[in-house]
Amino acid sequence: MSKRFSSWRLGMPWVAVLMVLLLIPVVVASNGTFSIINVIAIHIVFALSYNMLLGQGGMLSFGHAVFFGLGAYAAIHVMNLIGDASYEGHGLWAHFPVFLLPLIGFFAGALAATVVGWPFSRRAGTAFAMITLGLGELVAAGSQMFPSVFGGEAGVFSNRMVGPIWFGLELAQPAQVYGFMAFWTFVAALAMWAFTRTPLGRMSNAVRDNPDRLQFIGYQQRNIRFLVFIAAGGFGGLAGGMAAVNYEIVTPESLGLLTSGLALLMAAVGGLGVFYGPVVGAVLVTLMNSLLSDYTDASVLYVGVVFLLVVMFAPSGVAGGFEQVRLAWRRGDLGVRLPGWLSSALAVVLYSSGLVATVELIYQISHGKDKLARSLGFEADPASPLVWLVIAALLAAGYGVSKAGKRYREVNA
Amino acid sequence: MVKPIFKLFAFALLLLSGLARAAEAEPVRFALIDPLTGPMSVVGQPALAQLQFTAERLNKEGGMNGHDIQIVGYDNKINPQESLVQLQKAIDDGIRFIIQGNGSSVGSALLSAVNKHNQRNPGDRVLYLNYAAIEPSFTNERCSFWHFRFDSHVDMKMNMLTDWIAGNQDFKKVFLINQDYSFGHTVSESARNMLKKKRPDIEVVGNTFHPLGKVKDFSPYISKIKSSGADVVITGNWGQDINLLIKSAAEYGVDVPFLTYYGSTPGTITQVGDKGVDRVYLIAEYHGDFTDPEIAERQVNLYKEKGWDYYPRVAAMLEMMKKAGDQAGSIDPLAVAKALEGLEYDAAAGHLTMRAEDHQLQMPLYLSVLKDNMKYGAEGTNYNFHQVARFDADQAALPTTCRMRRPG
Repeated sequence: MSKRFSSWRLGMPWVAVLMVLLLIPVVVASNGTFSIINVIAIHIVFALSYNMLLGQGGMLSFGHAVFFGLGAYAAIHVMNLIGDASYEGHGLWAHFPVFLLPLIGFFAGALAATVVGWPFSRRAGTAFAMITLGLGELVAAGSQMFPSVFGGEAGVFSNRMVGPIWFGLELAQPAQVYGFMAFWTFVAALAMWAFTRTPLGRMSNAVRDNPDRLQFIGYQQRNIRFLVFIAAGGFGGLAGGMAAVNYEIVTPESLGLLTSGLALLMAAVGGLGVFYGPVVGAVLVTLMNSLLSDYTDASVLYVGVVFLLVVMFAPSGVAGGFEQVRLAWRRGDLGVRLPGWLSSALAVVLYSSGLVATVELIYQISHGKDKLARSLGFEADPASPLVWLVIAALLAAGYGVSKAGKRYREVNA
Repeated sequence: MVKPIFKLFAFALLLLSGLARAAEAEPVRFALIDPLTGPMSVVGQPALAQLQFTAERLNKEGGMNGHDIQIVGYDNKINPQESLVQLQKAIDDGIRFIIQGNGSSVGSALLSAVNKHNQRNPGDRVLYLNYAAIEPSFTNERCSFWHFRFDSHVDMKMNMLTDWIAGNQDFKKVFLINQDYSFGHTVSESARNMLKKKRPDIEVVGNTFHPLGKVKDFSPYISKIKSSGADVVITGNWGQDINLLIKSAAEYGVDVPFLTYYGSTPGTITQVGDKGVDRVYLIAEYHGDFTDPEIAERQVNLYKEKGWDYYPRVAAMLEMMKKAGDQAGSIDPLAVAKALEGLEYDAAAGHLTMRAEDHQLQMPLYLSVLKDNMKYGAEGTNYNFHQVARFDADQAALPTTCRMRRPG
């Protein structure tokens, strides 16, 4: 009885995810929204695959984009092969649907990880971080020197509307690509979750927490890291394959340090310790990247500040926060802890509105009003002392609330 | 009692004015998809400022076929993938004219995305107006009816640079220094081919590539240039790679012309300053003398208003769009595109023609050199580029391999 209950508990979130995925096309209509959702889907898989390394295996990598990029390149080259073969009407590739391209990306990523991974896996920590940084730079620099494979600065481009059509998805509009994205995101996330529950997945947690002890009980830490590295590379490549289908172009940027940094940013903001953390992070970071710059010129600053704050004050990430609340609720002491959490949340809101107002005012002085200021009805005049007084009051209120809430927070400590 | 009535009245007035506006023609909107935030925004923001500045003036002259011109900025962080998301957002917002310039990788992504969009949505066409992505293939083997380029491509500019070198018998030795990536290689290859044809006696004494954006100290490269005895240097460098190269050259007293594509990128003049004088040469669509008083006045006003220098070809692009819209009597992208084909326009720099064959703008090019104490300084300094040579549009023209598919 209890066993069945626990499997129901395990399955429930996935059913909920499936429902959400099916509901999205009912609610959303515009192609622009779908194209952002599609990017989110790619980033979810990418961030989850990154978290296999960092969150679960304890390997800080600065070169994860290599597998993403190589998977994307493999997929786009195959897409071109499909295009050529179906134009001629025969050949093996004429029967290969574009729908399965993420699998090509998976194999390319896993293969690349297998080739380079063995020497990398000897150590975790700083050594691993440095080596992956080197790998990332090496591949990114190398990609500019082989224009026949990587397409030079202009990249390799293709057309996804070729080959056999599966599930009636012609892949013309972003709305149709969504079907493809939803399928692969679900499959990949489920597979990566299942991986955490295999003995290998469990051992990767152990190699993160206490590698020496693992050695004593007879496991080679290097082997485990190597296998996890291959799996992470494979799923990174799968995300690359999804990206190839979505953008129909792959450029050398996708192999570079910025893309690797994006994976780290998403995983860290969302939360490394929770399986769904990177999912939350991917949604937040993608939205911030694509939408925030419509409203404010200081968007880059805000993204940076969010990252900084999460790393400094909430190292377990946004999802880590959810998880704390959920655990407290299950233990039944939510009522005791909530005042502390709410007071700190209020303090954060006060501080950040003070900070945002300051930044917007400074921007207004140097560049004129931007859209965020206008859409918030921010009619403040930076020359008037009253405005600065309000900001000071906001910050002071934030400080006051955080002081006053200290008593409640001590319960949580 | 008076106050509520007054408020109601004000509200009604507001409503009425809104209605009156709605009765006017819908505005025609242009999306600028370029880096608008972050470190690369220095190449996107000037274009945005110029477009808004020019739009304001054109709107006073009646706008584009009676429609007010509006410019909407979309920040792509100079990333090709992000550009496609922004493109979709712009299309969703109902914008049918897409402007982009910085980065051939972004240009490549937009070119293929716009082509596919127009193929897949025949009732809903989008035009791509390119003001700075100068990869030659865009108007050769990859040419498209939906793409118009308002800048001369790499080979056209190199054609003029090598003409100028070939015309000066003092030049015997040329040194090529470029960034080690596709654009740098294109520049180097193009230079070698053209020099060989025009002046076989000229010796290419060096052909060096350095890592893109990673070199902090150019002295080894400069000593190489010095020891090679080069009379003239050609470089496609941009960003800090040009700033540091020029500074280093000045420190080591290498007093030969540096022929550049991007010597005028915002920030370069401020950073290079005195060290660039008589050293940095620029091949571009205009010069910093501002001999046309009208343009000179605009340069002064734009800098005062927005803090950016005049961007002649971006202004000319919008002016040509207005002319095409007026001629077509429509702001429908297809009609405007047909009117743009072969459109001629007299700008300050000279006579411009949008070649129908490949949608490559044919325009005169200027070679200029950085000078101090100029009447109209760039970036708020006293430095600007003084004209050295002018090349007619015919001279700069190159044949195209374009075989364009036109909509019926």
